[in-house]
Amino acid sequence: MMHPETVDGGRTELIACHECDALQALPALLPGQSARCTVCRAKLLRNPPGGLDRPIALFTAALILLLLANSFPFLILEIQGRTEFTTIFGASRALYQAGMGELAVVVFITSIVAPTLLIASSLYVLLTVRFGLWLPGSRLALSWISHLQPWGMLDVFMLGVLVAFVKLGGMATMHMGVSLFAYGGLIVMSAAASASFEPGYLWRRLDSRRQAADAR
Amino acid sequence: MRARDLGLASCHTCGLLQKLPRHHGHGHCPRCGSTVHLRKPNSIQVTWALLLAAIVAYLPANLYPVMTVVSLGRSQSDTIISGVVYLMLHGDWPLGLIVFIASVLVPLVKIMALTYLLLSVQRRSPLLRARRTRLYRLVELVGRWSMVDIFVVALLAALVQVGAIATIQPGVGAIAFTSVVILTMLAALSFDPRLIWDHEERQYGVT
Repeated sequence: MMHPETVDGGRTELIACHECDALQALPALLPGQSARCTVCRAKLLRNPPGGLDRPIALFTAALILLLLANSFPFLILEIQGRTEFTTIFGASRALYQAGMGELAVVVFITSIVAPTLLIASSLYVLLTVRFGLWLPGSRLALSWISHLQPWGMLDVFMLGVLVAFVKLGGMATMHMGVSLFAYGGLIVMSAAASASFEPGYLWRRLDSRRQAADAR
Repeated sequence: MRARDLGLASCHTCGLLQKLPRHHGHGHCPRCGSTVHLRKPNSIQVTWALLLAAIVAYLPANLYPVMTVVSLGRSQSDTIISGVVYLMLHGDWPLGLIVFIASVLVPLVKIMALTYLLLSVQRRSPLLRARRTRLYRLVELVGRWSMVDIFVVALLAALVQVGAIATIQPGVGAIAFTSVVILTMLAALSFDPRLIWDHEERQYGVT
């Protein structure tokens, strides 16, 4: 069956499951469908609904929210007439100032660097494919996305914020900063963006584009 | 039919199925340029090394305080566990339960699950392959949530700073605990779940 939106344009492709190595034909996928391994049920490939425009919109929103979330006070604490606030970066800085440089680096990478790189490079690759641009490094960006994914911990950080809120609630008055609202939106946006984003699908788009260019 | 029986390897980065050059353990992916192996190189040895290091770090991670609150000359230290207990008793117990799962249960279950996966692969067990693969998938998925306590310590230290009535100092336990989280995450990443499915008579973990 030929369909313009199938992952590989109707041509059958062989794929090996990344979890059990079972060799199988990849079925043609309509938007919103995903293929699972016939042996171990691991997810092989998705054709995300909404094409490329939906992840582009969501990642753009996420990038803006990320900038906002990192630019303003995040949590504000009122204790006996004094107020103190912190930003997201302040969490890593406090660890560094307490003499725990290693820990500061880990927190900095997982709370700021990895999420920023993930969002920015996803957007970069999506724009390259969507608008047929030949920008350098799109293959490199796409390969590091899959390796970076476990290290971006926006959602875990958010849980940490909740816990910090409850823990300090007893001894001081806590206020939510502007950044915290942006951060809440960021969590929702980046979850929705990753749900509509499939690297395997983009690899195939980059490949078919390269083949078309070679044929010319 | 399995890809390795035909000498086919899928790229670990982009998933492209490809024929490896003969008499070579590895090749280069034409799609993304990564080095391609039939299996993750030395998967079992590397995973064991990281896992054992995590087990060693697990003790100081739970015995030493992750933070110390100094308030009006009095200081009180909290370990991971006492922090969770405090949260469950004085804070919000549903939240306490989530933190208990993330920072006490997850690291422990992860260490046990990886040990079981490694041993069963080394003993070439043919049992429960699909379930062991699911267990691996779960371990890979939940590991990052253990970082939550470290973020809490960092945020508390940032908010309650020098000059205020109280100060919060991160403790050595936090470094050990972060090591446990990172080492088990790396161990999970270096374990190759395809080893669970490899045939008994084959030599694995080599290339």
